[in-house]
Amino acid sequence: MNPSDKLNRRDSDPVLITGIGVVSSLGNSFDAITDSLLAGRSGVRSVDLGPLARDRQQFAAPVDDIPSPATARLAADPAAFARMDRLGQIFMSPIASALDDAGMPADLRGLRIGLVMGLGAEQLKAWENDFLVGGRLVYEPHRDASLVHRIAGILGIDGPAVTVAAACASSGFAIAIGRQWLQSGWVDACVVGGCDMLSPSGIAAFYNLRALSRRKDDPAKASRPFDRDRDGFVMGEGGAFLVLENRSHAQQRGARVYGEVAGVGMSSDAFHMVIPSTDPTHAARAISLALADAAVTPDSLDYINAHAAGTPVGDVAEAGAIRLALGNAADHVPVSSTKSISGHLVSGAAAFEAVACLAAICRQAVPPTVNLDNADEKCPLDHVPHTARQRRVDITASNSFGFGGANLCLVIRKAR
Amino acid sequence: MPAESETADMCSVILEPREPSCNDGLAYWVASSATVESPLSEIPALREAPFPVGAPSLPGRFLRHSDEHTVVGMRAVLEAIARFPDPRPSFEAFGVVGSPCLPGRMASARTLMQLQAEGPATVSPHIVPQCSLHALASAVSVGLSMHGPNIGIGGGPEAMAEGFITSLSLLDHSNIPGLWLVFTEWKNEPTLDAQGIAPPDAMCRGVAICLMPTQRGAARLTITLPGTRLASNSDARTTPQATGTLAELAHALAACNQGDVRADWLHVCPWGAHVRISHDCAADGEK
Repeated sequence: MNPSDKLNRRDSDPVLITGIGVVSSLGNSFDAITDSLLAGRSGVRSVDLGPLARDRQQFAAPVDDIPSPATARLAADPAAFARMDRLGQIFMSPIASALDDAGMPADLRGLRIGLVMGLGAEQLKAWENDFLVGGRLVYEPHRDASLVHRIAGILGIDGPAVTVAAACASSGFAIAIGRQWLQSGWVDACVVGGCDMLSPSGIAAFYNLRALSRRKDDPAKASRPFDRDRDGFVMGEGGAFLVLENRSHAQQRGARVYGEVAGVGMSSDAFHMVIPSTDPTHAARAISLALADAAVTPDSLDYINAHAAGTPVGDVAEAGAIRLALGNAADHVPVSSTKSISGHLVSGAAAFEAVACLAAICRQAVPPTVNLDNADEKCPLDHVPHTARQRRVDITASNSFGFGGANLCLVIRKAR
Repeated sequence: MPAESETADMCSVILEPREPSCNDGLAYWVASSATVESPLSEIPALREAPFPVGAPSLPGRFLRHSDEHTVVGMRAVLEAIARFPDPRPSFEAFGVVGSPCLPGRMASARTLMQLQAEGPATVSPHIVPQCSLHALASAVSVGLSMHGPNIGIGGGPEAMAEGFITSLSLLDHSNIPGLWLVFTEWKNEPTLDAQGIAPPDAMCRGVAICLMPTQRGAARLTITLPGTRLASNSDARTTPQATGTLAELAHALAACNQGDVRADWLHVCPWGAHVRISHDCAADGEK
């Protein structure tokens, strides 16, 4: 597709969001999550992760309840959901829920629907789930189908299906790729997003990387992006899936529209496998590319959902990237990190934060960064501390940055 | 020493639907490619091995914590760069797609055993950044200073199909001048011993392919995708095809390079589309 064709297609048949499915510590519906985000109601609390947990006072933002998909979606195999391990259920539930929300039929066979799942460590989680109950899967040669293909098979999704990993930006890249498939005309609809689950080895690995907050005395105060006293992130669980469609297809079937994925920008730091670059050039480039793709100017942004996980280095790097990309507009574009409320959903973070942008558009209010008592002077942005800010919100951007220097920015706007 | 096959040359790759009439897709060239195979016993040496003549150097001890898949996949990229036809472009804006099959299994086994025996304090901090699905692509991006998108794709038995379709997506929409697509796998998925170690003769294979939207040198590889439809066939997902393995891909690339007009490789994607590699006679004429 040549560049002018792409521009024409973007303008004439934009990619819309017509379904949302979520599972998180804040609830399992768009309304519940929107309420919690705008109220600044944290999902972080003490959790018992069993005998292999890092410490008895472990804290995180866990999912309490994973709703089973509607019976009609499991017609081909009614027991499929119950047979899945926790990781499988954490994915299956919001995927099915997003399809329901979009009004997609229970029988999807023969329809041109794709599935793109952001998931960074599927095998490690599967091996761990098995190992912790005495299994030997990790030792044995096996080539079982990946989760994305098992879920596609159960739900009757016949189109292309892939797993995408860019560490903490995984589900954002999943959204980006699904949008590309729609722009290419390879599918009529695409289910995109990602999730993650808490696990003893994952928490131990991030803790030993010194990436996690150690404020165990007051879990709900531990996640404090952009605050002077931040000391790392708090792990969360769950994520979100979106149903994407071109406007022409959505209109044809009378679908409800939440918003538009108007722009995508991707780049790499090429600096370090873990640490974000202190040079903001490449992260800023992802933001600038997304704005250009959406044909919007920095001044027109109404809200930026920052990646800001609450790590000392990462938040400063992102603030620099935002300022470089936005210039003087950074003085008055509201910025918040909803990880202060939801915890860091790792593979699921970017998709969940895309939903946070939709929540802001839906309620015309910017969700706050809770626990932001004293903004770090090295992060000079228009912060939204503690309480939501009512204002017009039509055009938003959501940043996601992952290990290995993966940078992604999505522009999500009110559908035109 | 690891076995290395020749650069792919004069071959075409077609990702096609089952209905031939829908085939109005994309075309790309393979500017260079290489295959590397190494037994587990030689991977420690490969981490520190001298770089191929003509390849860029990596930062010192860059691969010391890397998964075996990353070590072998990176070596394949370095070999392909070393053979790149002149004039070699800057790779600074290139993207990277890494499609390993079951990466990080030995590291995961060791992690889980340590977790159980000695507690979480002993879990390696490298398990997530170096042994997860993204690690191969990230290592290529970081090690070789490539600033286009870097993403891990697949992770399971369908990693090839997933890697191809994602690479096509990125090339068609991301305004990047080219992309490195890297596949890795254990030749035969090994059984690990009680310490979580594979047998020393377990063979790890990596295939690196440099895809570009403009013709580079004599090597030509085209990829076409249906512009209107990827064919659906739910039976394909439940009865996966065994054709088109990574070993056969490596063999087909080498055969194309040798000018074998019969070279033909077909991979059936689980959603019904086909990926095909065949010798490109047009490139002969252009030479």
